[in-house]
Amino acid sequence: MKLIANKRSRETQAWINRELKEQKARYRKIVQEQDALTPKRDKWIADFLQRIQTRGVHVHYDQMRKVRPEEIPTKPRRKFKVVF
Amino acid sequence: MARPHIEPFVDRDVSFKKLVLPGFPKGMQYKMLSMDSDNGACSMTVAYEAGYKQPPGMSYSEYELFIMSGSINVGSKTYGPGSYFFVPAGVAIEALSSPRGATGLLFYNYGEPSFVESDTDHSRAERSAFTAVNAYDNMQWTSTNFYPATAPGCMVKVLHYDQRTQAFTFLYCMTPNFWQDNISYHDCSEEAYHIWGTSWMMQFGELPTGGYFYRPPYINHGAFGCKLGTLAIGRTDSQLYNHFHFNPWTNIEENRERAASRIQHWKPDLYNWINMKGHNHPVDFEHAHGHANGDAPHHHGDGQVTHAHKKKRKKR
Repeated sequence: MKLIANKRSRETQAWINRELKEQKARYRKIVQEQDALTPKRDKWIADFLQRIQTRGVHVHYDQMRKVRPEEIPTKPRRKFKVVF
Repeated sequence: MARPHIEPFVDRDVSFKKLVLPGFPKGMQYKMLSMDSDNGACSMTVAYEAGYKQPPGMSYSEYELFIMSGSINVGSKTYGPGSYFFVPAGVAIEALSSPRGATGLLFYNYGEPSFVESDTDHSRAERSAFTAVNAYDNMQWTSTNFYPATAPGCMVKVLHYDQRTQAFTFLYCMTPNFWQDNISYHDCSEEAYHIWGTSWMMQFGELPTGGYFYRPPYINHGAFGCKLGTLAIGRTDSQLYNHFHFNPWTNIEENRERAASRIQHWKPDLYNWINMKGHNHPVDFEHAHGHANGDAPHHHGDGQVTHAHKKKRKKR
């Protein structure tokens, strides 16, 4: 049994509303912080794309394969985001 | 929307708040990690103040509690760090107290936090599913046993596994100098909290002690790294499959479509059946038929999978 139907009190609903409002603000702050991380992330991605050609990409557990240069994806034109 | 993508969030950056909700005794504090806007289900860091006392009682929602520091008494037993409880809805637990205080993680899985004083189970409670275990003292680390698996150095202790949904709750650790060079996404939602240690992900940077994320399905994460080791608790809401790849720029739609394409190739007969059958309402013969319960999501070959029929009332 995951949930037993019950009537939510007015106090509980008010508490949920407050928490959801704060969660929206928290989400916006995270998006801002992650946008600010873009220059570092771009460098991390460039390093990653280099490493998987030399050391390899993990396929399963300790199994790795080297990625050929022609397999390396190119960045699409659309806006890139990591928080959805 | 159920829960938004909260990643990363560090609870050390915010203060505890007093939990003041009908039914709950005084002396409990919390930091909200994430909340489901549809049903109030939520994940919280909690602190039981020294001297906290809670009478025997139950919750209307299934919940999980993990003790991180200090200890609590439940009945005559004392539970310290590493103690994990899975409490189905309606199961009454004995009186809970914390003479010296404790911190933990509290997950209400299907509804908002609720507490009803009672020394007996609700008539619909499934007492047999109740679990209490000390994950630090009484369980050992194992490999993840997934295929494809995470890289060597990431190990788990499975605390709870739901046979129907394959959702599970687990402790996981990353050894010092752990690294995994690929990008992953899953068909399930995933959340995790760092009990100790800092790890790194290529999208989000470092996640330190007290770091948390709630990540909806199909969102890229990885490559991964961890310099000094990490201990964390993780949860999923359904089966976790590692869809690995190495394209940093794919989005949710592309990842989901790839996952669906993979199902098409892995289970072609099932894929066709799901797509072709008109009034598609799969029935698991081991579980109650959805129609008997009133409404179960299904579709009519139109892709509207959240569609449901209410139970028809019999004419008198």
